[in-house]
Amino acid sequence: MIKLDRLTCKYENKTVLENISLKIKTHISILGANGSGKSTLAKAICSLVDYKGKIFFEDTNIQTLSLNEKAKLLTYIPAKLEIYDPDISVSEFVLLGRFAYKKSFFDYSDTDKKIANEMLSFLNISHLSHHLVSELSSGEQQLTLIAQALTQQSKIIIFDEPTANLDPHNSKIIANHIKELKKRHTVILITHDLHLAAYINTPVLFLKDKSLYYYEKEDFFDDATLEQLYGVKFESLAVQYD
Amino acid sequence: MIRKLIWLALVFVLAFSAFVGSVNLHLQNIFHTNSLDAQIFFDLRLPRVLFTFFAGAVLALSGLLFQTLFRNALMTPYTLGISSGAVLGAGIAIKLSLGTLLFGFAAVSVFGFLGALFTVFLLLYLARFLRQSHAESLLLLGIALSLFYSALLMVIFYLGSAMQNDMLIRFTMGSLSVIGWQYPLIISFAAVILFTAVYMYRFELQLLSISQDQAQLKGVNTKKVTVILLVISSFAIGILVSISGPIGFVGLIVPHIVHKLYPVNISKRIIKTTLFGGLFLVLCDTISRTLQTQSELPIGIITAIIGGPFFIYLIISRAQKR
Repeated sequence: MIKLDRLTCKYENKTVLENISLKIKTHISILGANGSGKSTLAKAICSLVDYKGKIFFEDTNIQTLSLNEKAKLLTYIPAKLEIYDPDISVSEFVLLGRFAYKKSFFDYSDTDKKIANEMLSFLNISHLSHHLVSELSSGEQQLTLIAQALTQQSKIIIFDEPTANLDPHNSKIIANHIKELKKRHTVILITHDLHLAAYINTPVLFLKDKSLYYYEKEDFFDDATLEQLYGVKFESLAVQYD
Repeated sequence: MIRKLIWLALVFVLAFSAFVGSVNLHLQNIFHTNSLDAQIFFDLRLPRVLFTFFAGAVLALSGLLFQTLFRNALMTPYTLGISSGAVLGAGIAIKLSLGTLLFGFAAVSVFGFLGALFTVFLLLYLARFLRQSHAESLLLLGIALSLFYSALLMVIFYLGSAMQNDMLIRFTMGSLSVIGWQYPLIISFAAVILFTAVYMYRFELQLLSISQDQAQLKGVNTKKVTVILLVISSFAIGILVSISGPIGFVGLIVPHIVHKLYPVNISKRIIKTTLFGGLFLVLCDTISRTLQTQSELPIGIITAIIGGPFFIYLIISRAQKR
């Protein structure tokens, strides 16, 4: 369970989230207009941006955890892989997920390498392991990022618009993986993809005007509610990922 | 194949570097302990080759480190103004006509070292006002500092006597000539410490070479690692520049050449970059000693003549990729 206690976040001198308190019991999807602070909220939970207020996991203030403990607790998968030096192979990249588990200054262990390989075959991308990350397509990059996050074995995985750069076919592959991962991890999904959110089937947090609104799944995916929230007409959303 | 040939050629140059120069040495004379050839070989040439090798290693490794930590291809101690800081420090020592020795070292070197170190801490302090990811702003700060230092150096030139100015000009051109083993030992010590630190943190650097966020999410204490490595490499650079004067372009081009030759992740390029840097500078120094000029050409000129065009090539090829 994640608890936010009076969370306030500023991003480039603009207050994005203001005084937000809530409890997230399990999986959740976070939706909202562009610039409503979805990614900022996710990054705050991962301590990637500064914030005021407190964030708890169970009864532990996340800020009191060591960096390694944090890495074992949660990870964040960005929409797009941003990488300065892309000359790293897929298997090497995925192995980096084990950093928090390895002994300082020593190489990754055989167990670490075994786990990384398992995750590659779990996602059906073992054939890419020797490719350079820079040579991958967007879909393959997203799968590689997920493989790295799984190798990290964090309890909570935050997906930030996982289908934003993908075609429908690749979106479907990712959607099915996320659904599968719900069995073993707590999934926090940030997305604009309503089909994806409906398919992943979790309660919804809607961000609007620096505040959060909570919806049970049935209440949110209702044409009238969607129209009210987004200001666009909806006609029975077709779920395509089944 | 090309890679092997390049390494072979560089090692060949290293092996023969000590035998070439303004005086031709004869192999059989070198081992006569009292001969002039032996003196030149053991007191001048050999220390110089070793000094040059470790100097190149420190420059290349620092370049690789700065580029990785700031995720910017143009980041080196030279472009950040750290070398200019050393020059200004040396300039102040020369202008004040300080006695030749301070704590057993040349006053020029002590002041040069302090100038470099001062610049590092100034940059670290100023960087706190920048947003984390803004490497470009830091680079601009470095360039601004360099220009500011140059202006101060001009003042020193303007006020200096002809003899002082001559000393200062020679310092700013960079020189690898050393007498005896004191400086080669100091710089080899600095190089070993720097290399050990970089190698120990190779997995952290691997993550930092992806992005700051990625490194932090995986459990790297990015601030701590960055400061530790920056301070160690700045000490090494400060020591080097205070002895040899600024030597540009090695820290910039060697990491890029090695990366072009070996498109692999950074942890696999640390050793190669270090060795290549050392061998490359030995090559440049050997060229400067074999050119038939009145006296040897300052090393800074050779590295700049090779490095300048390469720098331009690098910028253009990067621009075309986009």
